[in-house]
Amino acid sequence: MIKELGPGLRLTIAFTILTGLIYPAVMTGVSEAIFPHQSNGSLIRVDGKVVGSSLIGQSFSRPEYFHPRPSSAGNGYDATQSGGSNLGPTSAKLILGATATDGKGKETVSFDGIEDRVVHYSVENGIPYESSIPLDHFRDAQGNLDDAKLIDAFHDPQNPLVFTPKVPIPSDAVTGSASGLDPDISPANAELQAARVAKARRASADQVKTLITKFTQRPDLGFLGEPRVNVLELNIALDRGFPVSKSQSARASAGHSELAR
Amino acid sequence: MTPIGIAQIVVFFAIVLAIAKPVGAFMFRVFEGQRTFLHPIFRPLEKLIYWICGVREDEEQSWIRYAASLISLSIFSFLLVYVIQRFQGHLPLNPMHFSTPNAPSFATRMTPDLAYNTAVSFMTNTNWQSYSPDTTMSYFTQMAALAVQNFVSAAVGIAVAVALIRGFARHTAKTIGNFWVDVTRCTIYILLPICILATLFFVWQGSIQNFKGPVTATTLEGAAQMIEQGPLASQEAIKMLGTNGGGFFNANSAHPYENPTPLANYVQMILIFSLAAGLTYMFGRAVGDTRQGWTIFAAMALMFLAGVFICYPSEQRGNPIVNKLGIDSSYTGIQPGGNMEGKEVRFGIAESALFATVTTDASCGAVNSMHDSFTPLGGLVPLFNIQTDEVIFGGVGAGFYSMLLYVIIAVFIGGLMVGRTPEYIGKKIEQKEVKMAIIAVIATSFVILGFTALSSVARFPANGYWNPAGAAAANIGNNVAHGFSEILYAYSSGAGNNGSAFAGINANTPWYNLTLGLDMLVGRFLFIIPALAIAGSLAKKKLIPTTSGTLPTTGGLFVALVIGTVIIVGALTYFPALSLGPIVEHFQMLSGKLF
Repeated sequence: MIKELGPGLRLTIAFTILTGLIYPAVMTGVSEAIFPHQSNGSLIRVDGKVVGSSLIGQSFSRPEYFHPRPSSAGNGYDATQSGGSNLGPTSAKLILGATATDGKGKETVSFDGIEDRVVHYSVENGIPYESSIPLDHFRDAQGNLDDAKLIDAFHDPQNPLVFTPKVPIPSDAVTGSASGLDPDISPANAELQAARVAKARRASADQVKTLITKFTQRPDLGFLGEPRVNVLELNIALDRGFPVSKSQSARASAGHSELAR
Repeated sequence: MTPIGIAQIVVFFAIVLAIAKPVGAFMFRVFEGQRTFLHPIFRPLEKLIYWICGVREDEEQSWIRYAASLISLSIFSFLLVYVIQRFQGHLPLNPMHFSTPNAPSFATRMTPDLAYNTAVSFMTNTNWQSYSPDTTMSYFTQMAALAVQNFVSAAVGIAVAVALIRGFARHTAKTIGNFWVDVTRCTIYILLPICILATLFFVWQGSIQNFKGPVTATTLEGAAQMIEQGPLASQEAIKMLGTNGGGFFNANSAHPYENPTPLANYVQMILIFSLAAGLTYMFGRAVGDTRQGWTIFAAMALMFLAGVFICYPSEQRGNPIVNKLGIDSSYTGIQPGGNMEGKEVRFGIAESALFATVTTDASCGAVNSMHDSFTPLGGLVPLFNIQTDEVIFGGVGAGFYSMLLYVIIAVFIGGLMVGRTPEYIGKKIEQKEVKMAIIAVIATSFVILGFTALSSVARFPANGYWNPAGAAAANIGNNVAHGFSEILYAYSSGAGNNGSAFAGINANTPWYNLTLGLDMLVGRFLFIIPALAIAGSLAKKKLIPTTSGTLPTTGGLFVALVIGTVIIVGALTYFPALSLGPIVEHFQMLSGKLF
C-alpha cells in the first residue's frame, strides 16, 4: 500500500494540471475564437446595452409584452439561483398555493400555486371562465385581485373556490420550469396572449400572430424536442415593430396594475 | 404518447445500438495497448505521465495491488478536492467572491461537512450535490477540483470493468493489468478526445465557455438581471461522458447554458450511454465470443426500453389533479401537454422522460427536468433504476462490473436449477465469486434502507449542530408519502453513485452530509473491491471446455434469467419501501388528495 502512495499523489497532480487547467483553458481559447457569441453567453444588445441573453428567460409583467412561464429561480428568473419548485403531484402548495404572515401581521403570498396562476392567466388574456364565487369578491380597493384572499379561498375546506376557464390553458403557461430560467413558451401559450399584447400596442392581433409564427422555432432536425417561442427575442421584435410610447406604457400599466404582480 | 415522441426514443436507441461496436472495438484496442489513430498525437503525453508518476508501463499487478493503487488515487483525489474547496476564498477565478468576506448575501457557506460530502461525492463518481453551485463554488473549484474528478472517477470505474473483463479473458494468470496504465490510457485516448469534440459541440449549440465574471443585463422592463458565466462547456462534456452528472449550475442539464437545445440534449444522452454500451461489446471481444457481450447488451436494452415506456406515458398523462383545473393535458403539436411542472418547453415531455430514464439507468444523475415534480409512476422509474444498482448500461465501468456481479448470481441460480457447478465463459463460478457478488448487493441495500429508516425517525436538538431543523425528516420539501420518497431517493442515489435527487429535500446539514457521504463510499468501494477480488480469483482459474451440460449464457433464455435476477433482487429488496413512497402516492393522486 505504501508503495502505491507515490504514484497516487503524482497522478492526482498530473491529472489536475492536464484536465483541470490545460483542458479548460485550451477549450476556452478555441471556443472564444470559433464561437465568441455563444461562449460569452449569447448576450443580446439593444442600442449597445446588454438587455439579456437569448438563452436565459427574464421576467415580464407588463401587458404589452409576452409573459414567460412561472419561475422558482429566486424571486423569479434570478439567474444566480436556478432551479425548479421541486413540489410533487400531491402537493397542496403546488396546486392551491401558500400564504405566510409577514412581520406586520399582513398575509402575503409565499407561493402562488397553479390555481391562482390559472385565474390570472384567464383574466389577463380575456379567456372566458366560470367561477363559483364572483372574482369581484377578491378585489381590493384599487380593483386588483388579492392573491392571498384567492389562495385562502382555494384552501377553504367547506366551500372552496372553483374556477374553470372555458378554453383549455396550455400546461406550460401555469407550471414552473425545471431551471426557473426557461427562455421559451409554447406556441399555443403565445397565441393566447396575442390579443392582450396587440391591444396594449395598438396593433392588430393578426400582426402580432404573424410575428409569433416568425419566431416559432421548429423541433431540431424536424423531430427533436418541441416547437417553441423565445420570449425575449419576440418581445424585442415587438418593441422594434410596434413600439409603445412612454405615456402609453404608463397608462397601460396603471389600467392593468393588477397584472404587474 | 405521440408518434414524434416515440420516434425520438426509438432513434436514440438505434444510435446507441449502432455505436456500441465501434466504441467497444476502439476501447478494446486502447486497453490492449494496441496502436490507434490517436497515438501520433497522444502517445508522448501518455509516456510523460508514466514518467511523472514513476510507473512502468509493462508491469502487471495482482488484484490486491490493483485495489491498493485504486484506493491510493482515491485518497489523494478526496484530499485535493477537500482542500481546494476549503481554500477557494484564497484561490484565483472566484468572481462571485464565494467563501470571502465580500461574498454575496445569498452565498452558501463552505462548511467542513459540505466540503467532505462534495469531495466524497465527486471522488466516487456520484456527484450528489448538497450545495447549489450557483451560490457556492468558484470557477477554480469547479474546474480544478470537481471537473478533474469527473475524469478520474470515470477512468477508475472503467479500469475496474476492464480488470474484471481480464479476469474472464485470462486463465491461470496471477495478474489483472496495471491500474495506473489503465486509468491513464482511458483518460488520454478515450475521455479527453471525445470531451474536446463534445465541448465544441455544446458551445456551438449555446453553452458558455469563458472565465468572465457575471454579466448584469438591464431587462426590457428595466430590472437588473445578473447572469453568471464560467468555464461550463468543458465540464459539461465530461459530466455526461463520464456519467458524473454534477451540474455547473443548480438546475443542471435543465439550465439553458448547460443544455441549450433539444439537439444538445440528444447528444448528452448519447454520451451518457456510449462508453457503457461499448463495454458490452469490448467484453465479448475480449472473451473471444461477441455473442456474450450482445447478450448482456440485450438484457440492458430491454430493461431500458421498459423503463422509458413506463415513465413517458405517465408524464404525458400528467397529473389528474392539475388536468381538471382546465389545463390542456394532451399534446396538440403547439403545446406539450402532460405534466410540465419542473420541465423545460424545449424538451417537452418525451425528451424529459427519456433523459430521466437514461440518467438513472446509467449512474449519471444529471437532470434536464426535476424528478421531484414527476408523477408518482414517472418518478418511480428513476428510483427503481437506481435501486437495481444501475446495471442498465450503467455508469461508465461501474454499470458493467455491477452487471457482471448480477450475471454471476444469475449463473449461480441457473446452476442450482440444472444441478451442476455453475460456469460462465469457461470459468467455474464457485463459493468465493458468489460470496463477493452477494456482499456488494447486500451492502448497498443495507445502507440505502438503513439510512432511510434512520433519517425518517432520527431527532436532533432544534438549532443544534447536526440538523438545525430538528428531526431529520423535517428537511423534506413535500409532505407524507412524497416526502418519504425524497429521503429514499437521496440514499438510493448516494449508494447507487447516481447523484440525481428528488431535490426538494434540504441535504446540506451535517447529518445528511455525513450519512450520505458514508452511503456513497459503501456504494462505491463495496462494489469495486469485491469486483476486483472476483477478477483476481477468475484470472487464476483454468479454462474448462464447454460441454452439453453447460448452461448456455447467450440467447433469450439467459437474457430472461439475468433480467429476472436484477428485478427480483431489486424489487424484493425495495418493494416495501417503494410501497410507502411512490406507490401509495399514485393512489393518493388518483383519489385527488392533497397534502
